[in-house]
Amino acid sequence: MLDIPANVWQRVVKSSLWRSIFRHGYPDSRKNQSLAVFTNVFLHLHPVKVRRHALAIPYTWCMGGLSFFLFLALTLTGVLLMFYYRPTENFAYQDIKDLETVVVFGQILRNMHRWAAHGMVITVFLHMIRVFYTGSYKPPREFNWVIGTLLWVITLILSFTGYLLPWDQLALWAVTVGTNMVGATPMIGGEILYLLRGSLEVSGNTLLRFYVLHVVGLPLIAGFVMAIHFWRIRKDGGISGPL
Amino acid sequence: MAPIRGPQPLPGQERRLRLLAFVKQDSVVRVDKRIEDTAMVWPHLLVIEFIAAMLFTGGLFVIGALVNAPLQDVSNPDHTPNPSKAPWYFLNLQELLLHMNPALAGVIVPTIAIVALMAIPYVDTSRMGVGTYFHSRKGRQIVVFSIVFTIAILYLLVTADALMKASQLAPITFGVFSGVHLPGTTKPGLYLPFFPQGYAAWADLHLPGGKSFIPDMIIPTGVMLFFPVVLVLLVKRIWHADRREWMIALFTGFITTYLLLTFVGTAMRGQGMDLFVPWNVPPPLP
Repeated sequence: MLDIPANVWQRVVKSSLWRSIFRHGYPDSRKNQSLAVFTNVFLHLHPVKVRRHALAIPYTWCMGGLSFFLFLALTLTGVLLMFYYRPTENFAYQDIKDLETVVVFGQILRNMHRWAAHGMVITVFLHMIRVFYTGSYKPPREFNWVIGTLLWVITLILSFTGYLLPWDQLALWAVTVGTNMVGATPMIGGEILYLLRGSLEVSGNTLLRFYVLHVVGLPLIAGFVMAIHFWRIRKDGGISGPL
Repeated sequence: MAPIRGPQPLPGQERRLRLLAFVKQDSVVRVDKRIEDTAMVWPHLLVIEFIAAMLFTGGLFVIGALVNAPLQDVSNPDHTPNPSKAPWYFLNLQELLLHMNPALAGVIVPTIAIVALMAIPYVDTSRMGVGTYFHSRKGRQIVVFSIVFTIAILYLLVTADALMKASQLAPITFGVFSGVHLPGTTKPGLYLPFFPQGYAAWADLHLPGGKSFIPDMIIPTGVMLFFPVVLVLLVKRIWHADRREWMIALFTGFITTYLLLTFVGTAMRGQGMDLFVPWNVPPPLP
């Protein structure tokens, strides 16, 4: 085993390069544990301390965190899928076929993206149920509940726009049925339907629209709303607990 | 070299912490919490988050390796599969669509549902019961009661609708006679003798506004208003429910409806979106 002499380690930790990156020592003291959280851009959404109550897994079931985790997993697998997929009538289906048969690890990549998407629909829903039954929407968290409901709807639309992309029979007809429901809007149903599909029936135009919404539009909106959601958890006093 | 300005730390105290900000003590939750009730995020919370993320990464990988995502034939606008279904999480709406006017099922009801969900904290404004599941022992009973109540009502409604629109008896006989062929009928299974074409055909001829008015708008709207009100009155009567508690009853009713309709739409609808018992759904036509 490689043995690093103590003085070498000390010199590395004390070097100006190291100290320019890490602004704290090893997090084994309260001070360094605090610094580790709030000097790190990814961790600083957390407070330095949380109430013990909030750590209990049977209280939160981690559902909010896992929803976010699945969102990240979907972003990662989604970006990788984008390297192999062209959203046009001529190529879309064949590209998915190629993912399954030609691209190395293409099948598992697509599978993970799909199951994570279904999973996120479920975890977001369970998170909403948890928040309701623990009364966590109560003041001062009213507005964060509204934001959360919005995120649930965005999750469903994200999943729905992705459903069309394989361009197989399942996709085409599920989206035909789904968009027909929107077309039943009183007064402006026809216009909304056309806006959504870019044509009278689900077509290549619809595929492009759904693709752009799925990979750019909705993730941006979701990211934006999530930032507000997470920020407000902090501002409204952290994870809820008994008064 | 410019002179160093400002107060300087004393020798040996160069690494003192600065005061970053004042946090006002007006946050509800924090007010009378003792300091011993807290835990450091590093490591206690981060460990939980890390383990959860690793379990899900592993789980996702295993599921991805074992179960393939579905891929059917290339899309063909000229060939409609029977039945054509929306993605599973919209099958609750598609199920509603079978029972009422499309504008009501596809747009108005979901919009009202979402707005009503968002309005919950503005109706139940008390701060009682934050952080405890189901509010109280009473709340727990109300949840169970609301689930049973909603399932019973939905079962009645869906069966009644299948009876009246298609004269189907299958959901009542739990599919036992689904293989029976009655003389003079085209489909297998038991059907009501009174309206061989279904009540819808009769309504079109005999009711004002035909099928689209009373059966598709008035009755569903009435049903959707009536039963939630009944549920609230019942829990108020039985448990003297306060606002939080009848809110629990309504929300439980909503969740149960949402899940049950998703189940019916997914597992109990076959060709032509006819109703079948889950173990008797015929395979979809290609």
